[in-house]
Amino acid sequence: MKFKLHIWRQKNSTSQGRMEDFVIDDISPDMSFLEMLDILNEGLIVKGSDPVAFDHDCREGICGTCSLTINGVPHSPKRAITTCQLHMRSFSDGDDIFIEPFRATAFPVIKDLVVNRGAFDKIIQAGGYISVRTGQAQDANSLPISKVAADLAMDAAACIGCGACVAACPNGSAMLFVAAKVSQFALLPQGQAERKKRVVNMLKTMDDEGFGGCSNHYECEAACPKSISVKFINKLNKEFMAAKFFKDAV
Amino acid sequence: MLSFLSSSVLNKIVVAVTGLVLVGFVSGHMLGHLLMFVGQDAYNTYAQNLQSLGPLLWGIRIFLLVCAVLHIIGTINITNKNKNAKAVGYNVKKYQNSTFSSRFMIYAGLAILFFVIYHLLHFTLGVVNADYYNTFDSMQRHDVYTMMIMSFKNPIIAVVYLLAVGFLGLHLNHGIKSVLQTLGLNKDSRRSKFELLSLVASLFITVGYMIVPIAILLGYIGGNL
Amino acid sequence: MILDSKIPSGDLKGKWEKHRFEMKLISPANKRKFKVLVVGSGLAGASASATMSELGYQVETFTFHDTPRRAHSIAAQGGINAAKNYQNDGDSVWRLFYDTIKGGDFRAREGNVYRLAEVSANIIDQCVAQGVPFAREYGGLLANRSFGGAQVSRTFYARGQTGQQLLLGAYSSLSKEIGRKAIKLHTRKEMMDVIIVDGKARGIVTRDLVTGKIESHWGDAVVLATGGYGNVFFLSTNAQGCNVTSTFRAYKKGATFANPCFTQIHPTCIPVSGDHQSKLTLMSESLRNDGRIWVPNQKGDMRAANEIPENERDYYLERKYPSFGNLSPRDIASRAAKEVCDEGRGIGSTGYGVYLDFADAIKRLGENVITERYGNLFEMYQQITGENPYQMPMRIFPASHYTMGGLWVDYNLMSNVPGLHVIGEANFSDHGANRLGASALMQGLADGYFILPYTIGNYLAQANLEKLDTSHGEFKKAEKDAEERINSLIRINGKRTPASFHRELGKVMWDNVGMGRSEKSIRTALEAIPQIKEEFWSNLKVTGSGAEYNIALEKANRVADFIEFAEVLAWDALERDESCGAHYREEHVHPDGEAKRDDENFAHVAAWEYTGEGNKPIRNTEELVYDNVQFSVRSYK
Ligand SMILES: Cc1cc2nc3c(=O)[nH]c(=O)nc-3n(C[C@H](O)[C@H](O)[C@H](O)COP(=O)(O)OP(=O)(O)OC[C@H]3O[C@@H](n4cnc5c(N)ncnc54)[C@H](O)[C@@H]3O)c2cc1C
Ligand code: HEM
Ligand code: HEM
Ligand code: SF4
Ligand code: F3S
Ligand code: FES
Repeated sequence: MKFKLHIWRQKNSTSQGRMEDFVIDDISPDMSFLEMLDILNEGLIVKGSDPVAFDHDCREGICGTCSLTINGVPHSPKRAITTCQLHMRSFSDGDDIFIEPFRATAFPVIKDLVVNRGAFDKIIQAGGYISVRTGQAQDANSLPISKVAADLAMDAAACIGCGACVAACPNGSAMLFVAAKVSQFALLPQGQAERKKRVVNMLKTMDDEGFGGCSNHYECEAACPKSISVKFINKLNKEFMAAKFFKDAV
Repeated sequence: MLSFLSSSVLNKIVVAVTGLVLVGFVSGHMLGHLLMFVGQDAYNTYAQNLQSLGPLLWGIRIFLLVCAVLHIIGTINITNKNKNAKAVGYNVKKYQNSTFSSRFMIYAGLAILFFVIYHLLHFTLGVVNADYYNTFDSMQRHDVYTMMIMSFKNPIIAVVYLLAVGFLGLHLNHGIKSVLQTLGLNKDSRRSKFELLSLVASLFITVGYMIVPIAILLGYIGGNL
Repeated sequence: MILDSKIPSGDLKGKWEKHRFEMKLISPANKRKFKVLVVGSGLAGASASATMSELGYQVETFTFHDTPRRAHSIAAQGGINAAKNYQNDGDSVWRLFYDTIKGGDFRAREGNVYRLAEVSANIIDQCVAQGVPFAREYGGLLANRSFGGAQVSRTFYARGQTGQQLLLGAYSSLSKEIGRKAIKLHTRKEMMDVIIVDGKARGIVTRDLVTGKIESHWGDAVVLATGGYGNVFFLSTNAQGCNVTSTFRAYKKGATFANPCFTQIHPTCIPVSGDHQSKLTLMSESLRNDGRIWVPNQKGDMRAANEIPENERDYYLERKYPSFGNLSPRDIASRAAKEVCDEGRGIGSTGYGVYLDFADAIKRLGENVITERYGNLFEMYQQITGENPYQMPMRIFPASHYTMGGLWVDYNLMSNVPGLHVIGEANFSDHGANRLGASALMQGLADGYFILPYTIGNYLAQANLEKLDTSHGEFKKAEKDAEERINSLIRINGKRTPASFHRELGKVMWDNVGMGRSEKSIRTALEAIPQIKEEFWSNLKVTGSGAEYNIALEKANRVADFIEFAEVLAWDALERDESCGAHYREEHVHPDGEAKRDDENFAHVAAWEYTGEGNKPIRNTEELVYDNVQFSVRSYK
C-alpha cells in the first residue's frame, strides 16, 4: 500500500512547527500504524534526516504513551483504540493521512509529535490518591464492597492517562480524566474520608494547569480509547457541588 | 461575587443555573405570545395584567437581568478560558460527538444578546419603529397586539425575529441537555431521554415563537388590519 | 568472589521475623538525613519510593518515561498471587512457597521465597486500601481465580488489567508523596551509570531525554528497579522501552549478573506477521482452557484451516501430554510449538505459528458462552490480525516474556556492591529457573512495599558514609564518561540504523539461545555477537546531536548494551550444562523430551562478574541449599 503522509514537524518546544509531506510505499496492511512510522523513520535515518519523534511504549493499548492525532481524531478514527492498536488495513491504498500531536495548551509540544503531559501528574498529586501508608491496611476482606460499585469503579479506573480526551475536547478540558479518578474513589468506601477535599483540589489543579472547562461536547468520550463515559463527568459535577455547597460540619 | 469565575466548574454551574432561569423566561414569554391567536382583546389584557404587577414586575425584571448578566459574564469568561486552553488547533479536525449547536453556543448567545437589545428598543421602549409602538386600543390600553401585527407585516422585521429565534433554538438544543449534565442530573439511564427532551423542548420553543410572526406575515392573524 | 546470601539462620518460618528484629533501626529524626535514589517507577520502584518516603527518607525517583504510570508493569493482565486462602481451598503460605520453589525448578532460595509467600497477603490488604478495584463476588468479598497451573485459586485480578491497577495504586502513593514534596521525581531521564565511591554506590548519572543534558545525582544508597531484559530478543511482549542498560551498567561497575540465561517464553502470543513487526502481543493464557491447539499432519500444508479435515490434524499437546493436554505448563507448551514448526508443520505465512481452535468449544458451549468468557480477547485478536477467531482458529506462537535472571542480590536485596539495591524484575529474583503466572507482580510489590524499605535501613544505619555531593571527582568523571559514550555513538556516522542492529541481534538470540538451546547453537551465537558488536561500533548511523531529543540516539545507547549483554547471556546458557525450568538444553532431556536437571552440579546460582572490555566474565556461584523441600522431577504427563 502507498500513502501520502502529512506530519507535524517541530524541532523543539520553542521553535515554530509546520506540516511536512512524505510519500511512503510498500506498506503491508498487517502493519500497525506505528510500525509504518518505524519504517518511515528507518528510511529517514539512513538518509541522514531527522526521524519523526513520537511517543510510544507498550504498543498494546495499555500504557497510554502513544499519542497521535490521525486525520483529525486523537488516537485513531476507529473508536475505542489507541494509536498503537490501529492497523494499516483500516486505510485505503493511496490515502492521505494527517498526523498531528495531541493539541492542548496544557500539553506543550516537546518535539514533532511528542507532547508533555506532566500536567496530568500534577492533577493526581493534588489528590488522586487515598492516603494510606504502607502497612496501615486492614485485612482486605474486612471491607465488603458491592460488586456493582466495584465494577463501576473499575470502569472509571480503566483510564490509561493518555490525554486523548484533552486532545479531542474543543476546550482542551481534562474533565474526563479528572472525572474518572474522582469517580473511582468516590465509589469505594476507602475513598470517603478524603472525598470532598479530593475533588476540589484536583479540579483546582486542573484549572491552574491551563486546561479548559467543560461545555459538554462529549468529544472526549468518543476519543477515549477505554470508552470512559461522560456519565463520570456528570458524577464529577455532583461531587463538586456536594463538596462546595455542603461542606463537612466541623 | 465574581469569584466563581476562577473555577471552571463553579463557572459552568452559574451559567447553567442562570441559563435555566432564562429558559424559564423564554418558555413563559413564548406561551404568552400564543394569545395572539386568540385576539386583540385577550392579548392586550395579558399585556396590561403584566404591567399592573408593578413592583413585582420590577423584581422579576431585575432578577432576570442579574441572571442574564451573570450568564453572559460567565459564558464569555469560560469561552475565553477555553480558547486559551486550545490555543493551537488542528490542521485537520474531525468531530465525532459534538454538534453544530454545541460548538456554536457563544455565537448563538451573542446573536441573542444583540437581538434582545434590539427587541427591547423595539417593543418595550419603542425607540425603533416608534410609529408602531404608539398605538392604543379601544380601551386606551397600549395596543401591543396591533404593534406586533404592524411590525411583523414588515418582512424585514419578521425575518430578523425568525433568525433570532432560530439562534435561540440552536442555543437551547445544546443548552437544555447541557444544564442537566452540568447539574449532575444526567444519569446514564437518562441520557438518551434527556437528549430527546432537549431537542423537543428547544423545537417547541422555537416553533412556538416562530408561528406568530409567520402567521402575521401570511395574514392569518390581523389580516384585516 | 564469595557470594554471601546472608540468609538468616534458624527455622524457615521464623527467618524474616528474626531478621526484622535483628536489623539496625534508624530513628525517625535521622531518617531525614539519608537520601535514596530510586531508578524505575514500575511496581517495584514506585512502591519502594513511596514507602521509604513515608518512613522519612529523602527519596528521588527516576524514570525514562514521561510519567511514572507508564512503566511496563502496566501491561500485566492476568493477576497477582497471594496466600490469603480466601477460597478455603487449602492454600497457605507454605503451599505458595512450595509451588514457587517447584515451579522454579529448584533454582531459587528457600529463605527468599518463603518470605515472599509470607508478605504476599499484606500486598492485597495494602492495594485494597489504596482503592485498587479488584474483582469481587456478589457478596462483596474479593474474587479469585486459578492461574498458571496452580491447584488452588489464589490469584487476585482486576479484569484483564491487574498490572495497570496495581501500578496505578503504587503510582497514587508515589504521587501523594510527591504532592507533599517529600519525593523529587525526575521524568524522561535515562540512567547512564552508577557512581561508586570507596566501593559503595553513591550516585547515578542520567541523560535528560528531552534536552540531552548529562547530570549526576548523589545519594546514600541507590536502588535499581528497572525491569527485565526480554527485549534482548528484539521481539517480545515487553514494551519498546524495556532495556538492560541500567542493570548492565551496574554490572560493568562490579555488580554481578545472576542467571541471565533464565528467560521465560510465553506460549500464547500473536505470531509474527512480517519483517516489519516491532513487538508481540500476549494473549491471555486462559484461552487454553477452551481452545485446542493443533497443526496439520502434512509439512507445508497451505490449505486454509477449515479445509483441513479432522484426521489430517495433529492435536500435539493432547497427544503428547494426555492428562494436561492443552493446559500443559508454559515452557512445555512453548517448546512443543517450536518443535512442530521446526518440523515444517507450522502455519501462516512465516511457518511460525500453530492453531488455537475454538470450533469445538463453540459447538459445545455456544458462541455466547465463548463471547462471555473471551469476548475482549477475541476482539483484540481481530484488531491485530484482521481475522475473526469465531470463524477461523487463532494463530499463536511463543514469545519472550519475562526474565528470571538479573543482578544478584542477597537476602537484603542488596547486590555485591554495597549500597546498590536491586528490586523487581531487575534482580535475579525469587523465581528460580521459571516464574509461575501471577508471581512477578507479587514479587515486585513485596520487594517495594515490605522488604527493601526495612533492609535498606539496616544498611544505612551501619554504612558510615562520608558526606559528599556531585562536585566529587568520581561524579565529574562519570559525567564525562557518559558524555563520551554519547559522542562516540554519534561519531561513528556509518550506514545502519540502531533498530536494524537490534533486529539482527534479536534473531541470533531467538534462533540460538531462545526456547531451546544446544552447545552448538549457543556457540553459533557467541560467534555472531562479537561480529554484530564490531559492525555496530563501525557502521552505526545516528542522526542529530546529543543535545536534543534524539530518538535514534536513545535507541542506539540501549542496543549497544543489549549486544554486549547478549554475550553474557549466551555464556551463562552455555555453561549451565543442564536443562532446568525455562532453560532448555537440547542435550539434557529425559527420554520423553522433558527437561533434565543436574542437581548434583548445578543446584546453584551463577553470578557473572565483569572483568574488563573483551574479557570473558567470571562465573561465580552461590550454592542453593534445600532444607525444607526435596528435589523432585516435574511431570505433566
Ligand atoms: C505482557 C505482560 C504481561 C504480564 N502479566 C503478568 C501477570 O499477569 N502477572 C504477573 O505477576 N506478572 C506479569 N508480567 C510480569 C510483570 O508485569 C513484570 O515482571 C513486572 O511488572 C516488572 O515490574 P518492575 O517494577 O520490576 O519493572 P517495570 O514495570 O518494567 O519498570 C521499570 C521502570 O524502570 C524505568 N527504567 C528502566 N530502565 C531505565 C533507565 N535506563 N533509566 C531510567 N529508568 C529506567 C522505567 O521507566 C520504569 O519506570 C507480565 C509481563 C508482561 C510483559
Ligand atoms: C434567553 C437567553 C438565553 C438562554 C435561555 C440561555 C440558555 C443557556 C443554557 C441553558 C445554557 C447551558 C448551560 C450549561 O452548559 O450547563 C447556556 C450556555 C451558554 N450560553 Fe446561554 N442562554 C441565553 C443567552 C445567552 C447569551 C446572551 C449568551 C452570550 C453572551 C449566551 C452564551 C452562552 C454560552 C457561550 C454558553 C455555553 C457555556 C459553556 O461553555 O458551557 N447565552 N445558555
Ligand atoms: C416572535 C418572537 C417574539 C415576540 C413576538 C416578542 C414580543 C414581545 C413583546 C410584545 C414584548 C413587550 C411586552 C410588553 O411591553 O408588555 C416583549 C418583551 C420582551 N421580550 Fe420578547 N418577543 C419575542 C421573542 C423574544 C425572545 C426570543 C426573547 C429573548 C431571548 C425576548 C425577550 C424579551 C424581553 C427580555 C422583553 C422585556 C420584558 C419586560 O419588559 O420585562 N423576546 N417581547
Ligand atoms: S479518560 Fe480516556 S482519553 Fe482521557 S486520559 Fe483517560 S483513557 Fe485517555
Ligand atoms: S469534550 Fe470537552 S467539553 Fe466536556 S464533555 Fe468532554 S470535556
Ligand atoms: S504505546 Fe502503550 S498505549 Fe499505545
